[in-house]
Amino acid sequence: MKKKTVKRLFAAMMVSAMAFGLVACGGSSSSSSSSETTAAPATESAEKADDGAEEEATEAAASSGAEGLTIGATYYTLQTEFCMRMDNAAQTWAKENGVNYTSYDGDNDAATQLGQVETMIADGVDAIILNPQDADACSACVDAAVEAGIPIIGVNTMVNNENLTAYVGSEDVSAGEEIMQYMIDYMGTDTFNIVVLEGPMGQSAQLQRYEGITNVLANYPNIEILAIDTANWSRSEAMTLMETWLTTYGDEINAVIGENDEMALGAREAIEAAGMDLPCIGIDGITDAVTAVSNGKMIASDFQNAEGQITGALETAVKCVNGESYEKENWIPFEMITPDNYEEYVGRY
Amino acid sequence: MSAKVKKNQGMTKKQFIATYGSVIGLVLLIAIITIIKPRFVSGTNLRNIFRIASINGLLAIGMTFVVLTGGIDLSVGAVMGCAGMYSAYFAQTSMGYPAIAAILVGVLVGLMFGIFNGVCVAYLKVPAFVGTLGSMSIAEGLTFLLSNAKPIPNLTDSFKKIGGGSIGALPIPCIIMICVLAVCFILLYKTRYGRYVYAVGGNQNAAHVSGINTKKIICSVYIMAGVLSALAGVITTARVTSGVTSTGSGYETDAIAAVVIGGTSLAGGKGRLWGTIVGILIMQFLSNGLDMLGVNAYYQLLVKGFVVIGAVMLDSLAAD
Repeated sequence: MKKKTVKRLFAAMMVSAMAFGLVACGGSSSSSSSSETTAAPATESAEKADDGAEEEATEAAASSGAEGLTIGATYYTLQTEFCMRMDNAAQTWAKENGVNYTSYDGDNDAATQLGQVETMIADGVDAIILNPQDADACSACVDAAVEAGIPIIGVNTMVNNENLTAYVGSEDVSAGEEIMQYMIDYMGTDTFNIVVLEGPMGQSAQLQRYEGITNVLANYPNIEILAIDTANWSRSEAMTLMETWLTTYGDEINAVIGENDEMALGAREAIEAAGMDLPCIGIDGITDAVTAVSNGKMIASDFQNAEGQITGALETAVKCVNGESYEKENWIPFEMITPDNYEEYVGRY
Repeated sequence: MSAKVKKNQGMTKKQFIATYGSVIGLVLLIAIITIIKPRFVSGTNLRNIFRIASINGLLAIGMTFVVLTGGIDLSVGAVMGCAGMYSAYFAQTSMGYPAIAAILVGVLVGLMFGIFNGVCVAYLKVPAFVGTLGSMSIAEGLTFLLSNAKPIPNLTDSFKKIGGGSIGALPIPCIIMICVLAVCFILLYKTRYGRYVYAVGGNQNAAHVSGINTKKIICSVYIMAGVLSALAGVITTARVTSGVTSTGSGYETDAIAAVVIGGTSLAGGKGRLWGTIVGILIMQFLSNGLDMLGVNAYYQLLVKGFVVIGAVMLDSLAAD
């Protein structure tokens, strides 16, 4: 009996110690984690990525009194590479500018993000960065911030709310247009058949990239979309889908348009497994895509500048807080990675 | 004589830990976070926490009833999303229906899924895990069919109040939650029905032999879970001011976690409703607190995992 009580007490102590330890170390690590865990890779990438732009920005922000501000950011997820790049770049920027920066993982859920915005408001932040899971559902986040009188800056994905203080992002429509046009130029003809791999249906990047693709196709009536379906940004889903398409259409397919790199790469796997060689193109400029462009497996990839977007958002936030003039909409252009310039992008994602 | 007294004291201590361990954990948690970050217990923040806890709480209450009968309902999150989407459809300003109609549509969706689950599990002998897994997929499908994966925005103001409004200092979701909780407490602890739920979970055959209509009881808990999930979906939709496909996805795991943290046995027949409420509060205070402390999102996942395991470990160590 006594032994059991001891065991139980020990277990209780262990759990509370564990919880306390984690909470306590978490509390202090909010500052230290930004300096230790993420600083190394982030600084590296920032150095490589932003050469000129970053320096300019840093100086401008430093002189405009970013020091001591508290900025919170909620990302629709922190479990994809793109959002992590934004978060890392933000941590680096915050450190360089003496800004207290806290990031939140929205866990792919608009309701969670709304809760986090409310938490930030209760916590008394000076400005909020919102990378919304959904353009409509996250509209409530904007209302909450506006009601509390805190500037809220959208980044990467648009929010359908006219009260949004400012927005920094890249135009997905233009990315769709660019890859479609690049593919047509590459093919050197305006009569061929394509298949299109789409992102998760209804996500704004999917809707807009698709809009861009169709905008270009409107001028080329002889290009036929043989098949179009979602592969949910996933390499493995795209591979399965492409296998099915190759079985169904075989030689009729002339080119593959992927709304992101992962899917373009997945399709390429399936094509190679079938012993074929079809031109593939994607969007984002992830590491694997840069490699694929370098060895000719992809013809090109449209690079989305995560670091540029988030630092732009942070700078705009500082301007808002300090009452300076700012642009309400800021567009960071996509950059086409081609066999001629891929070296610039190695290690950048 | 003295040995006997000692033994009794040991028993009560053991029971004390088993019963109130989660409450002590909650108090400790609040105390620690408050010491580090006093703003944690500000009125605004507490209101935020309770508003979210109310939504998750509705799911967890329904789940508690299901788990008490020895079952499980994996479809609560998907049903929540489906009901939310259908209510959003009828709450659009362009449709011109009053808010109550939209709410009823949502609840009706939940009721249908509840009946479907209940009949599958109780009468058609489909294992709960499989049956509700199936209806989870069906609910997701129906959500996408209605919405075409696009969000449904522009909801009427009166509908939006259900999620975002307050009466006095109390957010409306909390008021709904308190009403539901009161009804469920009475059902579970003051009526014959409640005793039957425990009896069915404890030993279904014995309950059957003693004259309880076990199938009816089992069916009823799934209906309850369905309706409560739907209510949570309607509130969430009103809160985010548009119907979105991602609503409720993954919420079933949080509901199950809250139920087990609260000390309800997944084997059925043992557990307490107030424990589930403590479980929900622990989850919510923890995630809000860790957010406020600026804990890295990945560490938060670790913490949550350890808390669930730790809570159940305490419970089972105390029980042997």
